Amino acid sequence: MKKSLKRLAIDTATKYIYLALMIDDKEVSSIYQEGDNNHSVTIIPLLAELLKNAEISLQDLDEIIVGVGPGSYTGVRIGVTVGKMIGYLNNINIYQVSSLALLASTSKQKYILPLIDARRNNAFMAFFNQKKRKLTYLKNDTLENIESFKSNIIEKYEVIEFGKPNLKKIIDSNLMVKIEDIHNLTPNYLRITEAERNLK
Amino acid sequence: MNVLGVETSCDETSVSIVRDGNVVLANEVLSQIDIHKVYGGVVPEIASREHIKGITYVFDQAMKKANLNFEDIDLIAVTKGPGLIGSLLIGINAAKVISLNYGIPIIGVHHISGHIYANYIEQGMEFPILALVVSGGHTELILMKEHYDFTKLGETQDDAVGEAYDKIARVLGLEYPGGPVVDRLAGGGEDNLDFPRPMINSNDFNFSFSGLKSHVINTHHNMKQRNEKINIDDFCASFQEAVTDVLVKKTIQAKNKYKVKQVIVAGGVAANSGLRKKMKAKITDIPVYFPKMQYCTDNAAMIAAAGYFQYKKNGESDDLYINGYSRLDLE
Ligand SMILES: [Zn+2]
Repeated sequence: MKKSLKRLAIDTATKYIYLALMIDDKEVSSIYQEGDNNHSVTIIPLLAELLKNAEISLQDLDEIIVGVGPGSYTGVRIGVTVGKMIGYLNNINIYQVSSLALLASTSKQKYILPLIDARRNNAFMAFFNQKKRKLTYLKNDTLENIESFKSNIIEKYEVIEFGKPNLKKIIDSNLMVKIEDIHNLTPNYLRITEAERNLK
Repeated sequence: MNVLGVETSCDETSVSIVRDGNVVLANEVLSQIDIHKVYGGVVPEIASREHIKGITYVFDQAMKKANLNFEDIDLIAVTKGPGLIGSLLIGINAAKVISLNYGIPIIGVHHISGHIYANYIEQGMEFPILALVVSGGHTELILMKEHYDFTKLGETQDDAVGEAYDKIARVLGLEYPGGPVVDRLAGGGEDNLDFPRPMINSNDFNFSFSGLKSHVINTHHNMKQRNEKINIDDFCASFQEAVTDVLVKKTIQAKNKYKVKQVIVAGGVAANSGLRKKMKAKITDIPVYFPKMQYCTDNAAMIAAAGYFQYKKNGESDDLYINGYSRLDLE
C-alpha cells in the first residue's frame, strides 16, 4: 500500500490563525479563526487539537507549508517559528508561500487583489489572475499606498482581506517555494526596520 | 534530569542543556550585540528578526554539543518574561513546538530567577541567600530563604544600573554597550569629580540612578562649555565609584539585617570588575559569589538551572497556553 502524504499548512500573517491538515490531496481538517492578537497563546493548543482530531502526531507529518507574510510582523513570526521548528525537529520538507497568495486562493473571481492593512493608507497587496482554478501573479507582493496601487489596475477585481485559504488551489498553482536549508527560512517582511531606514 | 533551556528575552538567542541544575552539557549563545551596536542600543524589531533567523540553528548546535536527541530531554524551561515581547514569543513558541512534538513538559521561567540560579551552576546554594541583581533592566535586592522562594527587599526607583552605564557611555562618546567600556576606562582614571551617591543613606533597600546620571551629564556639559579639559577616564572612574559605593553599602545592610549565609551578585553588571573588587573587599565574613562571565550575560543555562528547581519545588509544569510577558514580577 502506498504511504499517504501528510501535509500541514500554517499562516498567521493576518489577525486570523490558519491551520490545515491535508492527507494526499484531501484537506481532512482545518482551523481558521480570529486570533484576538493572541496567536502566540492559542496557536499550539489549536494545533494540538487539530492533530488529535485527525489522530496523528507532528512526527507523522511529511511536509509543512508556511505562510511567510507579508503581513503583521509579530503575527507572521509566530507561524514561521512554529513551522520552522516542526520542519527542523522532524527533518521534513518545508515550503514557503506568500500570505497574500493564501488570501487570493479564497476567491472565485478572475482578477483578485489580496490586501492586508498596514495602516496610514498603506497595505500589503498583490494582484492575481485566476483561470480554471489556477492562480498566477500579475503584480508581485508589495507594500504601498492602497489608492495608488489600485489606480494602476484597469481590470475589474475582487478585494480579499480575509477568508479561509484553499490549499489545494495553492498547491495546484505552483505558488509554493521549497526551502533547501531549513535554517534559512525567515518571514518576508517586504520592508527593512525603521531603525535601519533612519540609519541610511 | 536533562533540562532544555531556551532564552530569547533580549538580544541573545540561547539554548542550553543542563543536567540536574548544574551539569552544563551545552550552552549555545547567538549574540546580536554587533548588530545593535550601530543603533546605540537594542532595537526590538531587529532583535525579533534576528531571533527567528537563528532559532533552529541554535537548537541544532546545542543538541550536537550535548550529543543528545530531543527524546532525551525531560523538561523544557523557557524564559516567559520580563523582556522584549516580540523576542520572548519566538523562544516560547519554539519551546512549545518541542513540547508538543515529543510530549515533554514545559515550564515558563522568570528571567531574573535565571540570573540568580546562574550561581547554582558553579557554587551551589546555602540559605538564606541575598541576591543583588544588576543588569540593563534590573537593580534589585532579593532575599531567598529556600530554593525558589524570592522576597524583593528593594529595587531601583528609576533607571537600572546597566541603563545608566549605557547613557553615560553615550554622553562620553563611548560605544554601546557602555558597561564594559566604562569599566575598562575607569581602571585608568581617578575618582576626583565628586559625584553624588543617591539614596546611599536612605533607610531602605531601594536605589536611584537617574539623578547621578543627570549630574554626570551636566558636569560633562558644563566642562565642555567652559572649554575645560575633560578626562574621560576620570569620568568613568568617578561614575563607577559612585555606583558601586551605593550597591555595596545597601548589599551589606541587607546582608546584616537578614543574617544571610551567601551573597550572590547576578545579571550583566555582575561582570563589572569594579563591583567585583569592592564587593569582595568589603564583605569578608560570608562568601560573595559572582557567576562566571559566560553566565553573567543572558544565557539559557541559567534558565535551565532555574527551571529545574522551579519544577522540583512545585512539581508541576505549564500547559501549551503559556505566554510571554514584557513585565513580570518575580515573587
Ligand atoms: Zn538578563
